[in-house]
Amino acid sequence: MEPLTWTGNLSFLNLPLQTAAILFFILALLQILAGFVPQRGSTIYHDSTVAGGPGLHGWSARLTLWSFYLVLLICAAFLVLGMLMGTSGGIIGAVSRQFVPVWVALAITFFLSLRYRRRLGLYGKLFDSTIGMVGFGLVMFWVFTAIFAGVFDMIYTHAPLEQASGMKNKLPGTPMNGAEAEDFQWYLFGGDNLARDVFSRMVVGSVTVILIAPLATIFAFMVGITLGLPAGYYGGRLDTVLSFSANLILAFPVILLFYLLVTPEIRESGLPNYMAVVLFVFPLIFLGVLINSRFHTQPQKNTLFLVLALGIGGWLYLTLVSDQSSVIRLLPSSLDFFNIPGGILVVFVSVVFVNSPTVFRIVRGLAMDIKTRDYVAAAQTRGEGPWYIMLWEILPNARGPLIVDFCLRIGYTTILLGTLGFFGLGLPPESPDWGTTINDGRKLLSIFPHPALAPALALLSLVLGLNLLADGLREESLKD
Amino acid sequence: MTKITDYDGPVLEIDKLSISFFTRLREIPAVMDFSVAVQPGEAVGLVGESGCGKSTVALGVMQDLGVNGRIVGGSIKFKGRDMSEMTQEELRDIRGNEIAMIYQEPMASLNPAMKIGKQLMEVPMIHEGVSKEEAHARALEVVTDVKLPDPKRMLDSYPHQLSGGQQQRIVIALALMTKPSLLILDEPTTALDVTVEAAVVELVKDLGKKYGTSMLFISHNLGLVLETCDRLCVMYSGEAVERGSIEDVFDDMRHPYTQALFRSIPLPGADKNARPLVAIPGNFPLPHERPDGCNFGPRCNYYMEGRCDQGYIPMDEVEGNERHVSRCLRMTEIDWDAPPEVAAKAEKPAVGEVVLKMDHLKKYYEVAANALFGGGEKRVVKANETLSFEARESETLAIVGESGCGKSTFAKVLMGLETATDGKIMMGDEEIQDVAIQDRSTETISSVQMVFQNPFDTLNPSMTVGRQIIRALEVFGVGESDADRRQRMLKLLDLVKLPRAFADRMPRQLSGGQKQRVGIARAFAGDARIVVADEPVSALDVSVQAAVTDLLMEIQRENKTTLLFISHDLSIVRYLSDRVMVMYLGHVVELGTTDQVFAPPYHPYTEALLSAVPIADTSVEKEHIVLEGDIPSAMNPPPGCPFQTRCRWKDKVAGGLCEQKVPPVRTLEDKHQIKCHLSEEVLASMTPVIKIAAE
Repeated sequence: MEPLTWTGNLSFLNLPLQTAAILFFILALLQILAGFVPQRGSTIYHDSTVAGGPGLHGWSARLTLWSFYLVLLICAAFLVLGMLMGTSGGIIGAVSRQFVPVWVALAITFFLSLRYRRRLGLYGKLFDSTIGMVGFGLVMFWVFTAIFAGVFDMIYTHAPLEQASGMKNKLPGTPMNGAEAEDFQWYLFGGDNLARDVFSRMVVGSVTVILIAPLATIFAFMVGITLGLPAGYYGGRLDTVLSFSANLILAFPVILLFYLLVTPEIRESGLPNYMAVVLFVFPLIFLGVLINSRFHTQPQKNTLFLVLALGIGGWLYLTLVSDQSSVIRLLPSSLDFFNIPGGILVVFVSVVFVNSPTVFRIVRGLAMDIKTRDYVAAAQTRGEGPWYIMLWEILPNARGPLIVDFCLRIGYTTILLGTLGFFGLGLPPESPDWGTTINDGRKLLSIFPHPALAPALALLSLVLGLNLLADGLREESLKD
Repeated sequence: MTKITDYDGPVLEIDKLSISFFTRLREIPAVMDFSVAVQPGEAVGLVGESGCGKSTVALGVMQDLGVNGRIVGGSIKFKGRDMSEMTQEELRDIRGNEIAMIYQEPMASLNPAMKIGKQLMEVPMIHEGVSKEEAHARALEVVTDVKLPDPKRMLDSYPHQLSGGQQQRIVIALALMTKPSLLILDEPTTALDVTVEAAVVELVKDLGKKYGTSMLFISHNLGLVLETCDRLCVMYSGEAVERGSIEDVFDDMRHPYTQALFRSIPLPGADKNARPLVAIPGNFPLPHERPDGCNFGPRCNYYMEGRCDQGYIPMDEVEGNERHVSRCLRMTEIDWDAPPEVAAKAEKPAVGEVVLKMDHLKKYYEVAANALFGGGEKRVVKANETLSFEARESETLAIVGESGCGKSTFAKVLMGLETATDGKIMMGDEEIQDVAIQDRSTETISSVQMVFQNPFDTLNPSMTVGRQIIRALEVFGVGESDADRRQRMLKLLDLVKLPRAFADRMPRQLSGGQKQRVGIARAFAGDARIVVADEPVSALDVSVQAAVTDLLMEIQRENKTTLLFISHDLSIVRYLSDRVMVMYLGHVVELGTTDQVFAPPYHPYTEALLSAVPIADTSVEKEHIVLEGDIPSAMNPPPGCPFQTRCRWKDKVAGGLCEQKVPPVRTLEDKHQIKCHLSEEVLASMTPVIKIAAE
C-alpha cells in the first residue's frame, strides 16, 4: 500500500487554490492601502447625500470579496470531488468520503430549514443571517458526526482504542501495518504515540462533548432558573442569601474545585454523588412547579400531568443518582437500570455547579426587570400564584437573552470539558475526548504535531460555531 | 462666529417638504408636501397624533435625519438661506446657535455625568468662544431667567439631583444660552405633571416674548397649543391638512380631520349631554398603506367615492380668512356648523347600593435609612393618609392627582397587593384591608379588577390574546370546560368590539387601543363589580381615547360596575365621572360630586389643577394660577397642611395655622368634603376658574 498524499488525484486543484489564496491576500492588502487614497468625483446633492462611483477602494473591496468566494469555491470543490473519488483523492478525499452521512444530513437539514424558514419562528429567522447559518452549519456538523459515530458506528475508520504495531507517531496517510482485508487501509490523520488512529479518536471524541456539554448546560440552566426567578421576583433577604452564595461559588477557583472533586478521598466520601442528588433535583422541581402553577385551576388535568411528569422524571432521577457502588443506594439494584460512570458524573456535576451561578445572575437580573411590567401586576391582581407569574409570565419574556446565553454557554462548557480532559480530571486516561487527546499529543508536539492538532481544530471549530450561532440568534432576535 | 443678521422675512420657511425613510424593503414616506412659515417672534404649533410625522419635520429642520432618512423634495429655508446648500460646518454653527431644540425627556438631553453649570457654559464657549468667566455669568443669568430657585446651587449640581420640572427648565436654559432665533420644542411637557407643565408652558411663553424667539411647538395636545401658539398647523398621516391662525382653526375649522379631532376630546367647559364625545372610526393608516387621494378619506364622515379617493389634493385658501389653508376638496360644500350626529344616548342606570367603603384607610411604608444592613434610623413614608369614601353600584368615582399623590398605593391596597396599615376597606359586608391577595377568595378577587395604564405593557407579549383572557377565566373559575371558556372568551372579545379573529393574535400585532380593549376584556372576565382603571387612556392617541372611554362607560352601564377612574386629566374626569376625589401627597383634599368639585368653592389645590389643564376651546377663559415649585417628596412632607408650600391662599388663614396643623375634613353642603383651614367666607368668595365667554 502506498501512503496517501493530502490531495491525491485532486492535486490539480492545488495550484488554483494557491493562486486564489495569494490573490486574496494581495487584494486584501491593496484594499487597506486604497483606503488611504482620497476619493474624487463624487457629487453632493442638496440634501447632503453624497453619491459617486465606488472608487479605487470600492473596486478593490469588491475584488477581494470575489477572490474570497473563489477560495471558498475551490475548497468546496475539494470536498465534493473528494467525496466522489474517495481514497484516490488523497487524505482529503478519504476524509470527505468518510463524512458522507454527515454531508447528506446537513444538506437535508439546510434544504428543509431554508424551504420552510418563514414558518419556523426564531429558528427560521436564523437562516436570514449568514453568520448564523455558518455557525449553525459548524455546530450541526459535529452534532451529526457525534450521532453517526456514537449511535450507528459510522464515519470513524478504526476502533478508538485499537493499537496497531508499527503505527506509533506515523504521519497522516500512512498505510496501516498488517491490515486485514476488511480493515480500513490507512491511518488518515496518522497515529498517536500509542499507535492509535488520530482520525477515529477525533471523531469518537465528539460523542463525549456533544453528549455532555448541552446536557450539562441544560441542567445548569434549570438550577439557575429555579433559583434565579425567586431571587429576582421576591428580592429581599432571599435574594441576598442566594446572590451571596452565587458570588461565593464564582469566587472559588474552578480548577482547584475540580481537583478537589476528583481526589480519591473526596470521591469515596461520596461528595460528588451528594452534589448530584442536590443538583439533579432542580429539573424535577422545575417541571413540577411548571405544571402545577399552570393547571392548578383544573385539578383533574393537573394530577394527570403531574403524575406523568413526576413519575417518569422521578424514576430517571433516582436511577441517575443512585449507584450500587457508591454511597447513595436509593433504588434496589433490580430497578436501577443504568449508572453513569463515576468519572463522567464528576465532570457533569462540576460543570453544572460552576455554570449555574452565572445563569442564576442573568435570570435574576431579567426577572427584576420584567417584574415591574404591568402584565405581571395584572397577573398579581387576578390572584395568580408567585410561581405561575415567574414561570409563565416572566420566564417566556426573558427567553431572548437566555437562548443566546445558552448557545454561548455550551461553548464555554465545551472548553471546560476540554480543560478537564487536558488535566486528566474525571475522564479515564484512555478516553478519546478532545481534551485528553490534546494532552496526550502535547508531549511530542515539537516532533509530531498531528496527534494534538486534529482534536484542537475540532474543539476550535465547534466552539467557534456555537459563538457564531449565538451571534446570529442575537442579531435576528433583536430585529423582531 | 456671527449670527445671520439683517433679514426681515420669515425665520423659517418650509416649502413643499417631503421626507422619506428608506428600509431594506421599501421607501416609507414620512412627510409629504409640507409647507409652513414661521415669522420672527411667532409661535407656530404643529399638532397631530403619534406617527403623523411632526417630529420628522423637526428633525428635518435640524438636518438630522439619520442614515435612513432623506429629504426627497421641497426646501427648508432658514432666514432666507436654503439649508440643504449649507456645508456641514455651517450647519454645525446654526444648530444650537441659531436653532435650538428641546426634547420630551429632559434627562435624555442632559449629560448625567456633568454638572449643570459646566453643561450650560459649554454652549457659548463653543459657539462664541467666550471666556470661562463670561460664560459662567451668562449661565447664571439664564438660570435665573428660567426661574429656578437658588441659581448658584443649581449650577453646581448634577442633573439627577433635580426634579423632572427643574431638569426641563435647565434644558430650556441650555437652549436659550445662545439666544437662538428659532426654538423647536418637541412635546416639551409630556413627561411632566399638569401643574408643573402649566408652569413650564408659562415660562416658555414669557421667555419667547423676552428674547423675541420664534417657536415651533410640537404637541399632540390641542389645549396646550392654544395656550402657547399664534398659529397652528394640523398634520395627519404625513401631510399638513390645515394651517392658519389659532382663532381661525379653532373656531372656523375647514378640514374634517380637525373637526373630528375637536369632537373627540372632552372639554371641561362644555356639557357632556349637549356635546358628547364622537370617536373617529377606524385606525391610523400605516405609512406604506396610505389610501389614494385623501389620507383621511376612509375615516371621514364627508367621504365621497370617486372624488376623495383620487389623485393629489392640494392645499386651498379658505375664503375670508387670512393665511388659512386646508386640504379638503369639499371645503365649500360641507356645512361646518352642523352639530355632530349622535346616536341616542343610553340613560345611565341609577346609582345603587354602597359597594365599596373605605374608612380612615392608612398606608405607611417604612424605609430603612441604611438599606444594606437594615439598621439605622427608619423613615416612614405616608403614602395614604386617612382615606375615607364610599363608592356605589354603577357609579364612576374619579380619583385625581399628580404623580406621588398616593393613587397607585391606594389601588394596590384595594387590590390586595399590599395590606393597609390602619383603617378599614369594606367590600359589601366583608373587611378586606388586611387580607392579602393570596388569602382572598376567588370571588373577592374576580370582583375587584384593574385596567392598566400602559397599553404596550399590559399584555404578556409571549401569549396569544385569547389565551390570556382564557387564563383569567380559568383563575376565576368561570366556565365548565375548555370549550366553554373559549366560547366565553370570544363573547368577551365581542363585548369590547374586537373581531373574534384576534383571539389567535399575539399582542405585538395589535395597536395600542386594541391592546387596551383586550385589557378591559380581561378585567371583566370574572364579572367584576369594581374596576379600577389606572389612567386607561392617557397613553393613547386622542382619536382612540374617545372610543376606549365610551367603551368603558358602555360596559359599566351594562354590568352596573363601580368604576374607580384614576386620572390626572380633568377634562376626561368631568366628562365621565359622577363623583370626584382629589388627592395630594396621600391626603384626600376634596371629595364631592363632579359639579361640586368643578365649581367654587374649591380646595386651593383643585383650583390650581383646574387652571393648569390646557383646554382646547377659544371661548373658555381661564384664570391663570401658576403653582410655585414642585410637589414635595412623600419621604419628607411639609409640616401641617400638605399643600401649604405651594398654596396661594395661605395668607388668608390667620396665625400660620397651615404650617402647624393638618386641616380637618370639613363637610360643606351636600356631602362636599374639603380638607382646608380656609374660612367659610373665603371659600365663598372664590370665583370659577373656567368661564365660558358669553357668545
